[in-house]
Amino acid sequence: MFSVKSVSALCGLMLPLALSLTPAQAAATVYPLQLTNCGVELTFEKAPERAVTLGQNSAEILLLLGLEDSMAGTAFWPSEILPELAEANEKVKRLSQEIPTLESILAERPDFVAAQLAHLLGPESKVAKREDFANLGINSYVSPTLCTANHDTGDVHGARAELWNMDQLYQEIDELSQIFDVQDRGQALIADFKAREAALRARVSDETADLSYAFWFSSPSPEADAYLGGKNGSSGFIADLLGGHNVIQTEVEWPTVSWEGIMAANPDVIVVGQVALTRGWELDNAENKIAFLKADPAISQLEAVKQNRLVVMDAQAMNPTIRTIYGAEQVAAQLEELGLFK
Amino acid sequence: MTIKAENLTWNIGQKTIVDGVSLKAEPGKMLGLLGPNGSGKSSLLRLLAGLRKAHSGTVSLDGKDLRSIKRNAIARRVALVEQHANTESNVKVRDVVKLGRIPHHPPLGGWTRADDEVVDGALARVGMSDRHEQYWQSLSGGERQRVHIARALAQAPTEMLLDEPTNHLDIQHQIELLRLISDISLTSIIAIHDLNHAAMFCDHLVVLEKGRVVAHGTPDEVLTQQLLRDVFHVEATVSPSPHHGKPHIHYMR
Amino acid sequence: MTTLQRYFGEQAGLGLFLLISTVLLLLAVAAGTGIGEMPIPLDTIFFAVTNKFGWTAIELDPIHQSVIWDYRLSRALVAACCGAGLALCGAILQSLLRNALAEPYVLGVSAGASTGAVSIMILGVGSGAVTLSAGAFAGALCSFIFVALLSDGARAGAGKTILAGVAASQLFNALTSYIVSTSGNAQQARDVMFWLLGSFGGVRWPEFQLALVVVVIGFLVCMYFAKALDAFAFGDDAAASLGIPVDAVRVILFAVTALLTAAIVSMVGSIGFVGLVVPHAARFIVGPSHMRLLPTCVVTGAIFLVLADIVSRIILPQQVLPIGVVTALVGVPFFSVILYRSQRAK
Repeated sequence: MFSVKSVSALCGLMLPLALSLTPAQAAATVYPLQLTNCGVELTFEKAPERAVTLGQNSAEILLLLGLEDSMAGTAFWPSEILPELAEANEKVKRLSQEIPTLESILAERPDFVAAQLAHLLGPESKVAKREDFANLGINSYVSPTLCTANHDTGDVHGARAELWNMDQLYQEIDELSQIFDVQDRGQALIADFKAREAALRARVSDETADLSYAFWFSSPSPEADAYLGGKNGSSGFIADLLGGHNVIQTEVEWPTVSWEGIMAANPDVIVVGQVALTRGWELDNAENKIAFLKADPAISQLEAVKQNRLVVMDAQAMNPTIRTIYGAEQVAAQLEELGLFK
Repeated sequence: MTIKAENLTWNIGQKTIVDGVSLKAEPGKMLGLLGPNGSGKSSLLRLLAGLRKAHSGTVSLDGKDLRSIKRNAIARRVALVEQHANTESNVKVRDVVKLGRIPHHPPLGGWTRADDEVVDGALARVGMSDRHEQYWQSLSGGERQRVHIARALAQAPTEMLLDEPTNHLDIQHQIELLRLISDISLTSIIAIHDLNHAAMFCDHLVVLEKGRVVAHGTPDEVLTQQLLRDVFHVEATVSPSPHHGKPHIHYMR
Repeated sequence: MTTLQRYFGEQAGLGLFLLISTVLLLLAVAAGTGIGEMPIPLDTIFFAVTNKFGWTAIELDPIHQSVIWDYRLSRALVAACCGAGLALCGAILQSLLRNALAEPYVLGVSAGASTGAVSIMILGVGSGAVTLSAGAFAGALCSFIFVALLSDGARAGAGKTILAGVAASQLFNALTSYIVSTSGNAQQARDVMFWLLGSFGGVRWPEFQLALVVVVIGFLVCMYFAKALDAFAFGDDAAASLGIPVDAVRVILFAVTALLTAAIVSMVGSIGFVGLVVPHAARFIVGPSHMRLLPTCVVTGAIFLVLADIVSRIILPQQVLPIGVVTALVGVPFFSVILYRSQRAK
């Protein structure tokens, strides 16, 4: 007779075993690999060996998958690289921190190009169109977030009708891992992100207040209207993860809001973005932002400022990228220190 | 070969500028248009040139209504010399005179040796042959007027309309210009301010006041003490000049 | 005497000048094809072109061949067409409006195009079925129609037409700002700025075909009215007295320049200074007569923009400087030289 206790003990033994077995059971890619990416049919005869990435997120995904030796070049880095990837990144040639040129990309003789944003690769891009690479037999891959442009969920830069989630990122990681035949690492990475996402949600107990968050990306000057993360973008996602909501209720992804409007909304927590551009605005720097909040006669009267519920987060997390999870964790850690996370 | 105006009326908004004007130019003769400022001389000339459409009345050329003639055809017959035609462009004298040949050609091409001769002839008539390469911007007021007349002559017109062409010229050039125009055997209608010059050079005169014709006829007939008083508001006596036989106006101080 | 006529005498001078300019243009295009970031040997450049024409069948590195043919050559040719078109429009507008500072965007075309572009880019008008270029073109047309209505079909005289153009530019620029600030994000605001400064990066062979057709048609129409434009020098009445149908000519030429400018702006964005400076340079070389001026503008504008594009591609390593910046940096001193020498000539 099996008792409940022994069954659950058995399960307790089986589970770690099962989990450790799962990664190894991810399939190896069978070439030639057929993939449809935003309406374009791609065929891969083998894993690419000279990949060029256009966009920080695409590069960081490949580096997280341990593919630095298969990368020939990267371009477009709006913020600092993830510290844990810095060493691997050193091995890969950086073509440009800004928008690259087509000739510099082709000079690396790529066999694969992965892009994050429409203005880096696409029909309206001033850099390259997918046909430019296709004509040379080079496969190009664009982030699945670009495929949904102009559907009713809104384009990637515009308005969103539904809350963003990590599904398309997981799809991108999955497809890239298939292309490079590192599906085990891909699945592990996805599982890791999912676990972290779940962990954050788990921390939200019934006692955690439904806090309202204002995500301040940056402002051109202290008097100017501020760029905030919108309700349904990755900022909203972070807020939702932490059991709260974005204080901004418009559906535009990056509304400019006046400080009067922000004060009227009275957020419980102000998340202050750290933008790492060398030629940016003065308020890109998070410390400058905090100093401004505390110095301004009106804004310093906000509850959030008086109670010092000011949290620093890497601004890249406010873009729909893998950095979003890192950002959420950054915020959670600081909220815990402030005692807001029960 | 005449320009004839019948009962011309032209308004700007509520204001009547030309009011029931009738006149007839004699072939080969010089008709002077006189009148104080605002009497409608410039507007009348533009109506006669077909540049404005009268609200009532007709302008006819050789009996044909001007409105029924194509603009290009009018330009081959009637040339207009304006008061202040100026340009910022750095054209040369010859280029300006060549403009007069435009009505005679299709839009592209058509230039022949004959055209060069017409241009040369026009320049010679106004005494600017040796200056045909000079730039417009370096010419004096009088020289510019002469170039405009050369351009009008290059149109090979049968009628020439001139709007106060002697206005900003010194006395030497005023007389020279009027002499030039009267020597040309074209029908000419000239708006002019200087009443003595009008008397000296014009064959007929038409006097306008507030858009209406108040007198017309030969200088002897038109230039009377009464008219000068009523229309021009000056005290003067008029008598035939012992030097050239035409009426001469003595203004009182 | 213009500089050239002093040396060559009139007709021969012009013919020779145009011949030399055309040769220079071909050289400029060749330079644009040969010069670039990627070092490509000269014989490869030569054979890449001859291969495509079918005269040779040498085996070449496909990347080199593609860069030469699909990217650099098409880009240089589009730059030539756009330079020609913008210079032509500038010359026409300077004559029609009798204003030395007139240039292709004075009728609000560029502002309208930017509004059209951001409507597509940010508002998502057309749901992906309308390209950015088509939207920009539509916006440009709207602005022109607005100007035409305000200035009574361009019959209102030069001063009022310019004012109408200023009003249109202000209105559409304000609309653009409104759309960007209410619906756009920080990245998009930067994108719009880049687009406004103009770029040849996105052009390939299809753009060249369109640009060539548009510029050739525009040029032929404008040449048809070359003498009429000369007559305009002394004002509307003078032109009318020479038999020119003033209203019709003005409307046609305004429409042609607006369409040509709209086509160029919607393709490559807003490139300044070409339309302003090149006509003055051309007038300095061949004089103001339009039968000489217009072809000269076309060739000179083409050469200028091809060279400017070369500079924009190689001056900063790994980056392309916006073409509008290059034309301004070159245009300003160039313009000063012309101004100085024309003052001296007087």
